[in-house]
Amino acid sequence: MNQVEDEVLVRRIASGDEGALAGLYDRYAGMIYGTGMRYLRDRGAAEELVQDVFTSVWRNASGFDPARASFATWVYRITRNRATDLIRRRKARVRTVDNEPPFESGEMDPSGEISRNFDVAAALSRLSSVHREVLVLAYFHGLSQREISDRTATPLGTVKSRTTAALHALRETMSFDENRWSADE
Amino acid sequence: MSEHPDTRDLLGPFVMGALEGHEEREITDHLEECASCREEAQELKLAHERLADLAYSTETPAEDLKERVVDGLPRREARRRVPAWVAAAAATLCVLAVLAAVLTPDLFGGRALASANLSPTDRVPGAGGEVSIQGTGENMEMRLEAWGLPPCKNEQYYELWLVEGDDRVSAGSFTVGQSGRVDVRMNAPNFAGSYPKVGITAEHDKDPRPSDEKMLSGELHEL
Repeated sequence: MNQVEDEVLVRRIASGDEGALAGLYDRYAGMIYGTGMRYLRDRGAAEELVQDVFTSVWRNASGFDPARASFATWVYRITRNRATDLIRRRKARVRTVDNEPPFESGEMDPSGEISRNFDVAAALSRLSSVHREVLVLAYFHGLSQREISDRTATPLGTVKSRTTAALHALRETMSFDENRWSADE
Repeated sequence: MSEHPDTRDLLGPFVMGALEGHEEREITDHLEECASCREEAQELKLAHERLADLAYSTETPAEDLKERVVDGLPRREARRRVPAWVAAAAATLCVLAVLAAVLTPDLFGGRALASANLSPTDRVPGAGGEVSIQGTGENMEMRLEAWGLPPCKNEQYYELWLVEGDDRVSAGSFTVGQSGRVDVRMNAPNFAGSYPKVGITAEHDKDPRPSDEKMLSGELHEL
């Protein structure tokens, strides 16, 4: 069974549905938090980034136009802008103490890696639950194929073929998403 | 693509490096001979690399962060103190609006936008019902008519749900007396019409999630 699409959840958020925001949190918070940890190098600041991003999604959901960009692209831009703000604020604060920046400055995400990650997360959320499950257990929980077989009570051969099918589905969904919005990017 | 189905099934774990030694050697040998499987493995490898990058960049935040994020959301409605006469006038207008909506429904968006015929589960084979969604903007409401439901006892009540996939949003709760019938209107979120299904469960506690006691369900159709 497919999950509700990101863009549908944003429409519900615009109508005041906090549950829809919680749904998007489940899909994207780990990546936003990971981005914060990477660039801000501080747990509290990374949490502040997550809160800022979802507050911004909540406030601006009614202005989101799914015809122009995917939710993943939109939330990536919000994350990048908020993280840049937080980096600047933190640098200014620390400089007043010892005149040294806390870390190297530089453009955020120059290789586009974080942007790609948001797109992959969006594609992952569009997969069927059985395909998503097998990939999440392998990549995010670090389980081997045999461990997934035990955990899901599924024959090992089925887990292997399902993993292959899930990667195929992810690849196709990523291609579909790229074509869907590329004309507007 | 389907020339070597046994090999194809293993290409996913192969590009992940998740096969056991002998299987990996077999696939490696096969790919040296088979261009179509090699091409397919390249496609899967791209998906694998993107997913591995995503997993590497993702970290699990503190468990309570989600709650803090939701609790910290700014309220949409401004809570301002208003003079008593303004409040009284507003209340009067509300009463008039409700009366007008009841008496002249079409002028106030009373025409149904979507409806569903409710079918019973095995728990209540003689039950049935209809749900309609009507209104505009923030003034949406759902009208529920149902019959054949067992009368509520003690703390029991029924709950109407908007359903999509694994997603459930409560549209409101109600009780049923000895007649087993109910005709009730509930305020509905203005996204109510975007859900494909509705359902009714019997509830016994304050758990906000739906119980397993499904009574009626139906598909919403736009009108």
